[in-house]
Amino acid sequence: MTGASRSERPVESGPSTLLDLHREGRLVREYPSVRRLLCGASDAELARAGQLLARLDPDEVLAEHPAVPVVSVAVTGHGTLAPLLPSLTVELARHGLLLRPHLADFDAYVFDLADPGGELYRADLALCVLDPMVVFDEVPVPWGPEDVERVARERIGTLAGLVARFAESARGTLVLNTLPLPRRFTAQLVDHRSRARLGAVWREANARLLRLAEEHERVVVLDLDPLAGEGVPVVEPRLSQYTRTHLSPALLAAYAREIGHLARHRAGQGKKALVLDLDGTLWGGILGEDGPDGIEIGADGTHRGGAHHAFQRVVGQLAAQGVLLAAVSKNDPEPVGEVLRGHPGMFLREDDFVRVVANWRPKHDNLAELAKDLNLGVDSFVFVDDSPYECGLVRHELPGVSVVPVNGEPALHIEALLRDGWFDTPELTREDVTRVAQYRDELVRKDFLDGFDSLNEYLRQLRVEVHLVEAGPAEVARLSQLTLRTNQFNQTTLRLGPAEVSALLDDPAARVLAVRAADRFGDSGVVGAVFTHRHGDTVHIDNFLLSCRVFSRGIEQTALCAVLRHARAHGARAVRANYRATPKNTKVKDFYPRNGFVRVADENTTLTHPTAACRSDGTTVTYEHGLGVLPVPPVHVHFTEIPGDDGS
Amino acid sequence: MNSIDDFLILLQDDLGLPVTGADVGAGLDRVPGWDSVHLLSLLALLERTTGRALPLAQALEAGSLEEIYTLAVAP
Repeated sequence: MTGASRSERPVESGPSTLLDLHREGRLVREYPSVRRLLCGASDAELARAGQLLARLDPDEVLAEHPAVPVVSVAVTGHGTLAPLLPSLTVELARHGLLLRPHLADFDAYVFDLADPGGELYRADLALCVLDPMVVFDEVPVPWGPEDVERVARERIGTLAGLVARFAESARGTLVLNTLPLPRRFTAQLVDHRSRARLGAVWREANARLLRLAEEHERVVVLDLDPLAGEGVPVVEPRLSQYTRTHLSPALLAAYAREIGHLARHRAGQGKKALVLDLDGTLWGGILGEDGPDGIEIGADGTHRGGAHHAFQRVVGQLAAQGVLLAAVSKNDPEPVGEVLRGHPGMFLREDDFVRVVANWRPKHDNLAELAKDLNLGVDSFVFVDDSPYECGLVRHELPGVSVVPVNGEPALHIEALLRDGWFDTPELTREDVTRVAQYRDELVRKDFLDGFDSLNEYLRQLRVEVHLVEAGPAEVARLSQLTLRTNQFNQTTLRLGPAEVSALLDDPAARVLAVRAADRFGDSGVVGAVFTHRHGDTVHIDNFLLSCRVFSRGIEQTALCAVLRHARAHGARAVRANYRATPKNTKVKDFYPRNGFVRVADENTTLTHPTAACRSDGTTVTYEHGLGVLPVPPVHVHFTEIPGDDGS
Repeated sequence: MNSIDDFLILLQDDLGLPVTGADVGAGLDRVPGWDSVHLLSLLALLERTTGRALPLAQALEAGSLEEIYTLAVAP
């Protein structure tokens, strides 16, 4: 690493600390800078920041910053849970989100889960925090493993019934957790045979809890064992005894961190690409100085080489689940290519990356260009580098990028990368496992485009095919994922979980269309969705979205034309559509007017369907198409009509 | 934490409570912005800051911030 010129050096700007903002009474006004101020904060600093942020009124923050994404979280459970709120507040703020909390009454989870009119049923995330005392409060003295088994079976049986009821009609995701088993209980049984049996019945109870996530689409069960396994104490005996806070503050903080990951996903801010430095990150040493034979990499080589290899295996594991890999390194491209293609110690190969950028330009420029080529926002990037200088510069120049600093101890790279569950998602879809290939195709398309003088000629040669299909159960997971991952071509940012999409399929007034696309380079699968509902003689487009991989090829106009044709063929008088402005979807704000829609003065009339996500906060515009003259679909697109859609 | 002033700064900067010296001796129900959750946060904070275990059962029954301070700095 060479020294940077003065102009490249990160410059601190804006308020220096969160505490300064608090002391000056400016936390509300400066809320958007909180995310940056929390970068790299220690656990103790996060705890303190949580106390300060939890005192803010979310409505005041929102009034000042209407574009800040809000996640409503209702908290219920068995013990005292108020100490969880500051941790939740700060863990959401770390991701640029604003928490709107609701704390239920003490030990009210049975009532809350059974009350469809309550806050739990309305929240984006409903947390039902369970602790070991859910069982042990009911166990008599003296007791044996069979008493615990009986009580646990009863409690979890009740819970399973309540969860099923919740899953039928709540709008958000329910989060349960496994029950940790503190030593203060196992050690009360003096014989090891009983102790082992207690361990077995306890784990059977937890396994039953974990399986609830397989049985219901909108249920997540957090396993607390891995958190406790990191050395976080499960119980603080004094707080448990005196205040009925049955999980330790440290465990509640670790739990809140996991909730932050779920909230980030729910707010459509999941990460999509992992961008890695090479020297010191993927392998040890400096390629330019040590040469391909001198770098430290390989399971059978040095200790450090083995640690880098282990890190590469973890990166490969993430990539296999749909995370896009790219490398950005200050190196000459030739030796980098040589190592990626032929070094016997490497686990990752050139084909695992959608792009390898090796040059001497500033990394933030390379990242910005990479984002443009992949048609992604830089805020969907996670960037890993061992150089504090590069990490600082990227943070400063591209504040949206999530930066993961690693250090000179490669055995700790894995923990650093996985600490924040950047890519956590409730479930995977078919598209996830082929994503790297899809994006590589995309870059080939771009090179193909560069060979044409005119865009029209390019599009004609691309041979785009669009199929519009009525969505069925097979498309549910992918459509939900599109609503959660798509930020740019997303007209209303209406985020829907799989169960919410399923509910729309069953709603006779609603119509859900999946947009499939293919071209000469291959089948892109389901790349878009149109959610509509009919109210009287008007069809309302509740949301229209398209994967950022396939913009501007005529796919969106083709699908919109088909929706309009269908509406007219089925006797509709007009089609209405909303556009809700967010910081990310500006490029599609004229999509409807460009296609013959006109702005409607009275905007409240469209907010009739339960899925209408638009707020009357000035960010939403309603458009209408009178179905007189329909727009002409692009001639270069080969479109397959849904049978009967054209009125035939 | 060496003085009641340090204690006040802790309340203001770490718990975000808008308290002044006048609030220290008042009943907890008179402290601006106070609720019972703050008591748990404050006790955890005091243990972290002083590096000593507080007599938690007594602290939970304290009637004023001053009583809590006295417990925290008791020899």
